[in-house]
Amino acid sequence: MNWKVNFGVTAGVCVLLPFMVPQYSLTVLIEALIFGLFAMSLDLLVGYCRLYSFGHAAAYGLGAYSTALILTQLQPSLPIGIVLAVLVTILAAIPIAWICTRSTGISFAMLTLAFAQLGYAMLFRFRDVTGGSDGIVGIPRPSGPLGITWFQGKTGYYYLVLGCLLGSYLLCRAIVRSPFGAVLAGIRENEAKTIALGYNTRVYKIATVVLAYGFGGLAGALYAAFAGFASPELFFWLVSGRVLIMVVVGGAGTLIGPILGGVFFVFLEHELSQVTDLWPLIFGSIFIAFVMFAPEGIWGILTSRFNAKPEVPNSASGKETSDAAA
Amino acid sequence: MNFLGFILAQCLSALSQAAILFFIACGLTLIFGIMRIVNFAHGVIFMLGAYVGVTTVAVTGSFLLSLIVAPIVVGAVGMAFERIFLRYLYGRRDGGAYLLLTFGLAVVLSELIRIIWGAQPLSAGIPDSLRGIVVILDQPFPLYRLFLIALGIAAAVTIWQFLERTRAGLLIRAVAQNSEMVQALGTDVDLVRTGVFGFGCAMAALGGVLAAPLVTAFLGMGTTVVIDAFVIVIIGGMGSFLGSLIGSILVAFVQVLGAYYFQDLALAFMYFLMLTVLVIRPGGLLGKED
Repeated sequence: MNWKVNFGVTAGVCVLLPFMVPQYSLTVLIEALIFGLFAMSLDLLVGYCRLYSFGHAAAYGLGAYSTALILTQLQPSLPIGIVLAVLVTILAAIPIAWICTRSTGISFAMLTLAFAQLGYAMLFRFRDVTGGSDGIVGIPRPSGPLGITWFQGKTGYYYLVLGCLLGSYLLCRAIVRSPFGAVLAGIRENEAKTIALGYNTRVYKIATVVLAYGFGGLAGALYAAFAGFASPELFFWLVSGRVLIMVVVGGAGTLIGPILGGVFFVFLEHELSQVTDLWPLIFGSIFIAFVMFAPEGIWGILTSRFNAKPEVPNSASGKETSDAAA
Repeated sequence: MNFLGFILAQCLSALSQAAILFFIACGLTLIFGIMRIVNFAHGVIFMLGAYVGVTTVAVTGSFLLSLIVAPIVVGAVGMAFERIFLRYLYGRRDGGAYLLLTFGLAVVLSELIRIIWGAQPLSAGIPDSLRGIVVILDQPFPLYRLFLIALGIAAAVTIWQFLERTRAGLLIRAVAQNSEMVQALGTDVDLVRTGVFGFGCAMAALGGVLAAPLVTAFLGMGTTVVIDAFVIVIIGGMGSFLGSLIGSILVAFVQVLGAYYFQDLALAFMYFLMLTVLVIRPGGLLGKED
């Protein structure tokens, strides 16, 4: 199986990266992988159901704030805290998904946006719990269970994030290639026809929104535990817009593309913001160019250039990551 | 304390807020009605209007002139954007592309504003002739806010009459209903689209000029206002002009009264209102369900 070799090589390169880059780059690398995971979670909606969520920051923020509260209040071990935070995000996502999937297209985008902004507003309402505009600071990274401590250091945390990203990717890949994923493709291409074939598309859409929130929540959880703080900006609609840009520029509907898009933009932002303050201008211009001239995204261009099947990860992904890291 | 006067002052305050919101929302809803485009750049367009307006006042010293110059300049920017960029996407099946493109424009335009005008807020004074205080039922009330209400009513009536009574208004309503048919009958639909997009941007710019004396012109003044405008348009029904008027008044009352009585919940109230409307009527108060 060709893709397994390529996946193995890519994973291998990622595992070796901490030994090849200086310590300070590792911080950027971790953030890049987290944003890659976040962008991939949105791709489940944008790329596979053509549901443009403009409120995916809600998933990120929910994950981050639940992690912050769980780790500071209950003080479980880190992995358990993250798992609990993801569960909280998924539970919160169910009513949101139920309401948002009542509509499609632009109304869906606006509804998701409204929920994210509602979350943002709630942070200021319950400032005793959430810290209001200050957010929650001093989130610990507790050890355990079973006395495991390796993820407390920066290199160890990198491996934790990498493990989550690779695991999530494999899971999402299996999902979109399953019969369930085939129904999603049906919804994307022609929802009326899919309904006529006897599928209750609403249920599939709800499930996908919840899944996307789950993976997005995982990204938020990993971010909060890494950065040590959670601030209201995580819920703000500009975050949703940013991650949507990453998905589209990376290549919607490919899973790998959005991961690359996320990694690519975090690195570009880090490098360019040191030399020029025109970074957002460049970011926006690149985005407009992609929307107009290359809607298939980076990954779409790469795969058509190398003439590979779109969903097969080839060595270009490993190359791209290591180039960006160097 | 004079309770009646207090209530009246609160209502007038809300109505003046509604006037500014209406200037933004009516353009947004007209653009959506004609083109099925949610213009994410509308908040930045509003901000551009404020900056152009403040600069015009600084150069010429005339507030009246800024009310004319800013909408013309910003309307031209809007029309250029529609001609150069949006036009490319009309053939695409995927409506989400507009959302993405206008979001890209919002990012680029707000950066350009920062580069041109700098990161410092620009303060704009209320023009001398409108600086007075009017006493209504023993409650002092700023004249400028009464001016906003009057202007808002005038704009709403004018646009409404324009849409209902003129040939151009008829064409706009016709394009919103069935653009292919209008095209087939020999009207240049592209021209109508460009015109409506430019007009929507000009209205938002006018809102920006009027808001600047109240809040100063600052970077980011568009990011929250665009969300307010979306909420209004969704509550009123996307594409419905009357809906945007009703939505503006509702949201302004929720904002002003909410801020007074339930400070922490003011922000959340607006979204609750929107979600309630959507759960009961998914197409908005006056919109069509789709």
